[in-house]
Amino acid sequence: MEEAARGLVIGILICQIALSIVLAAVFLIRPSLTSAAGWKIVAFIGLCVLPALCIVGGMNTHVQRSEQTQFCVSCHVMIPYGKSLYADDPSHIPAQHFQNHRVPPDMACYSCHADYSIYGPLKDKMQGLKRIYMQYVSTPPNPITIPGGFKNAQCLHCHLGARGFEENPVHAAMMDSLKSNQTSCLTSGCHDTAHDVANLNHQKFWKQAQ
Amino acid sequence: MKFRELGIRRLLQVSSGLVIVGLLLETVSLLWFHPLSFVLFAFVAATLIGLGILLYLVSLVLVVTPEGNRN
Repeated sequence: MEEAARGLVIGILICQIALSIVLAAVFLIRPSLTSAAGWKIVAFIGLCVLPALCIVGGMNTHVQRSEQTQFCVSCHVMIPYGKSLYADDPSHIPAQHFQNHRVPPDMACYSCHADYSIYGPLKDKMQGLKRIYMQYVSTPPNPITIPGGFKNAQCLHCHLGARGFEENPVHAAMMDSLKSNQTSCLTSGCHDTAHDVANLNHQKFWKQAQ
Repeated sequence: MKFRELGIRRLLQVSSGLVIVGLLLETVSLLWFHPLSFVLFAFVAATLIGLGILLYLVSLVLVVTPEGNRN
C-alpha cells in the first residue's frame, strides 16, 4: 500500500516535471512570446513557480526514499548488514527488531540509526554524503563504524517509558547511566550482538513467508 | 530590435535551457534507485534548475529597470 502511495507521488511529480519542461521548451524556442502580458504570467509559472515546486517535491521524495531499508542496502558495503537482518538468532538485536516488526521493516535501518535530535535529519544527510564520498572517492573503513559510536538515545527513543523496559530490574538499576550514555546498551553481556557481519557465513537465516 | 531586448531573450533562452536540463536530470534521479541518485539530484539537477530560475528572475529585473538607470 505504502509502495503504491510512493509510486503515485513520484508519478505526480514526474507529470509536474513534464509540464514544466513543455513550458520551458516553449520559451526556449520562442522567447519573444514573453512580450505579451498573458505569456509573461505563463513564463513566470513555467520558469519560476513550477521548477521551484519540482525542487521541493524532488527533495522531499529523495529524503523519504533515503529512509528506506532497500535504499541503504543498495550500497555494496551495506549488503552484509542488510543480510544480518535475517539472522535466525534471537540474540541478534537488529534481526529481532526487523523480523518481529518492532521497527517498520521498510525503514529498519533508519529507525535505529537516525539522529532524533532537532537537526538530526540534516546531520544524517551530511553523514550519508560522507559515506557516499568514502564509497566512490576514498575507501570505506573496514569494519564500518558509526562516528561517535552507537548512542543509547536511539534505543531509548522507543524503549523509554515502555513497561517491559522500565520494570526490568537491570535496566532500572542503571537507568541514569543509560540515559546519560555512560553505559552503552551494546555493552558486553547486555545487548552486544548487533550486525555480526564477521560471522555471517556461519549463520542460519530466517526465510520470510511470501 | 534593441540590443537590450535581444539580451533579455537570450537570457530567457539560457534560463529555459538550464531548467529543462535540470528537470531531465531530476527525472533520471527519481527513476534511478541508488544512493548516487540523491547526489545527482541535490548537486546537479537542483543547482541547474536553481540557476535557471535565478537567470529568469534577473531577466525580469532587466525588463523593469529603465535603460537609463543601468550602467
